[in-house]
Amino acid sequence: MLNIVVMIKQVPDSSEVEIDPVKMTLNRTKARNVVNAADLNALEFALRIKDKVGANITVISMGPPMADAAIIECMARGADRGILITDRAFAGADTYPTGLTLAATIAKIGNVDIIFGGDETTDSSTGHVGPGVAEFLGIDQITYAKEVDYEDGYVIATRDLEDGDETVKVHTPVLITVLLNSNIPRHQSLRKKIDAIRKGVESWGINELGLKPDWVGLRGSPTIVRSMKAIKEPEHLHKTVPIDQIDTIIADLVSKNIIKVGGK
Amino acid sequence: MKIEEKLSLLNYKTDRSYAHITIDPDICAGCPDHFCVFACPANCYTLINGKLNFKYEDCVECGTCDIACSHGSVKWTLPKGDNGVIYKYG
Amino acid sequence: MSEFDVIVIGAGPAGSSAAIKLAQGGMNVLLVERGDPPGTKNVSGAVLWGDELSRVVPDWERSAPIERFVTRKEVAFLTERSKIAISYSSQDLMEKKSGKIIVRGKFDQWLARKAKDAGAMLVTGITVDKLVMDDGKVIGVMQDGDVVTSDAVIVAEGANPRVLINSGLRPKLSDHDVALGIKETIKLPENVINERFNVDSKGGYASEFVLGFLEDGLLSGGFLYTNKDTVSLGIVASLDRLRANGMTHSYDIMGKFEEHPFIKNLIKDGIPDEYAAHLVPEGGLASMPELYGNGYLVAGDAAMFTFSNGMVLQGINYAITSGLLAAETILENKTKINKETLSSYVTKLRNSYVLSDLYTFNGIQNVTWSDFTQKTMPKILDSVMMSMFDERGMPKKHLMQVLTAAVKSNGMRYTDLISSGYRMMRKM
Repeated sequence: MLNIVVMIKQVPDSSEVEIDPVKMTLNRTKARNVVNAADLNALEFALRIKDKVGANITVISMGPPMADAAIIECMARGADRGILITDRAFAGADTYPTGLTLAATIAKIGNVDIIFGGDETTDSSTGHVGPGVAEFLGIDQITYAKEVDYEDGYVIATRDLEDGDETVKVHTPVLITVLLNSNIPRHQSLRKKIDAIRKGVESWGINELGLKPDWVGLRGSPTIVRSMKAIKEPEHLHKTVPIDQIDTIIADLVSKNIIKVGGK
Repeated sequence: MKIEEKLSLLNYKTDRSYAHITIDPDICAGCPDHFCVFACPANCYTLINGKLNFKYEDCVECGTCDIACSHGSVKWTLPKGDNGVIYKYG
Repeated sequence: MSEFDVIVIGAGPAGSSAAIKLAQGGMNVLLVERGDPPGTKNVSGAVLWGDELSRVVPDWERSAPIERFVTRKEVAFLTERSKIAISYSSQDLMEKKSGKIIVRGKFDQWLARKAKDAGAMLVTGITVDKLVMDDGKVIGVMQDGDVVTSDAVIVAEGANPRVLINSGLRPKLSDHDVALGIKETIKLPENVINERFNVDSKGGYASEFVLGFLEDGLLSGGFLYTNKDTVSLGIVASLDRLRANGMTHSYDIMGKFEEHPFIKNLIKDGIPDEYAAHLVPEGGLASMPELYGNGYLVAGDAAMFTFSNGMVLQGINYAITSGLLAAETILENKTKINKETLSSYVTKLRNSYVLSDLYTFNGIQNVTWSDFTQKTMPKILDSVMMSMFDERGMPKKHLMQVLTAAVKSNGMRYTDLISSGYRMMRKM
């Protein structure tokens, strides 16, 4: 049977996060914790493959102990197994050691055919982690996927690129990062959630993964945050103009080099 | 503050696969009172050129419209799973 | 054999209290809540009166998220240009900590956590569709076609009882069963609240209003409670009057209330942070479903257990107590759950304040939701006050004469006033 891993992250609900006006940091304390939305889209594609050909889906997440709720939610939607990668040593990790830690987890799970993840998270939006994991594992990757299908050892995915769609066919093992809103995630089920709570979430730390403290967490992170700035939204000019004057106005804007017309 | 602004304060998780409330437009077309329009506290029911329009996305799941409609048009269920309105204070 | 001893539907005050008690009694309990986390679907004023929770969570006030304790309680009539209030401030109220002002979003999450800590399985983000019956007995719940079985079910789903309706255990709600509550939470700095409402940081102001100024037959009450750094402002509007009116939007009643000069001042410079609406049980005994059946019990708002006599508005305490009594009933009959054994739930409710209050005050809705209470009386009081306090250099009259004039000018006769007033005092 296919072995699928879905990487998820528990994030503060972005609509409830406030920016601390003094420290310029995100105040996450008041926000509800949710599964990063694109990760649920990734999970849904994994579940569709399971529906089609059968698969064993393991959901993994690196985070604090309370992040087990996010994994349980994924199991309530149909995932079979949950592993929380949690250890004080992992704290403060940027995307580099996060990718390494997740890759080590997947290596330990072993014989994984397809790895899914959301394209990016709502709380940091780097998009680094998925590609990082693929590189650490040395396997192929499909990014910006908005459609995913599986057939006879191949993943067929459509990538949403700036100048058009690209459909690729890649042999497993492969890592796929999925775009937000690329499908509608199925609902949680009471039956599955009860079973998930009974089964529980496995907890793996640095020792289980055979990693060294220098490689992970803050110590293993090359990123240094020098300062944070709140960006002021630029002021927008709103003007209502009669429809028969639009051509004249566009010509005026072109002549002032504010906008360009035609060509690439 | 207008009702639209008040509703914009709310946080929802909208289920794009399931409208938990539906109406029967044929019944609404012949409705003498359109009390739903006045009863709904979330302005989900509006009359546009005499025609009833309904949107479930702003619904706060109070159940008032199910009581308000005495003509059998409103079919009322709760959103599935954890979808719908998410109150911070409640 | 059933998968669970008891399934509790709804992790509000009734459901979570029941689950705590059952888990403490060694039962295998499933507590299912559609909000994630609990509290995100509930709306309430809210003031929690009384101390029933201490029966299952000793010293609960220390760990519960309580905003403030009521030290100033008001009941006020608002006419278009006046406010006539009974205002009661008391250090004793504070010392007795009788009224706890809470924010349900925080409180319900806290209480559900207590149920989990006590050993109940808490499942959130799931909406139960209906009860499952076998040979006339409730054997569990259904969600999306799946059945989860239990020996007993406590239905504590709140004021909009979809599970009961879907299971054919109560008729759809009508205009007379419930009123429509609309609420706004408004941010104000803690020190501004303290100064504006004349309370200290622990003390709180809780006020109920009769909105006598509403025109066109509309009837509605209002409320204002001070939280730590927010204010809860809301209305409870009669649906049959709104229907009879037929041209006013429910949200415009809320709008008129917050625009009333006396309210506007109290929330000045506040930043609205949330808008909410919810049904409020108002029908009393006449609106109640069957409180028990073969394998199930109903508690809290789903059972229509609320109390309002114009002076106080209560519901959370009735929810907690009924939840505890439902749990007690099951614990006492755990080896033999059937319709007959569960009937002792009603006896327990009758012996407690829950049902005895509802019997004592049966029909109170006809007084609180009447034109006399909400419109005529405020007008008469307004005329009397104005005549007494406005000095025009004219010879003064006895109170009786002032009252007579006020009654007459409002198109009433003395006998009407006396009989209406008598009826009101008796019912209250």
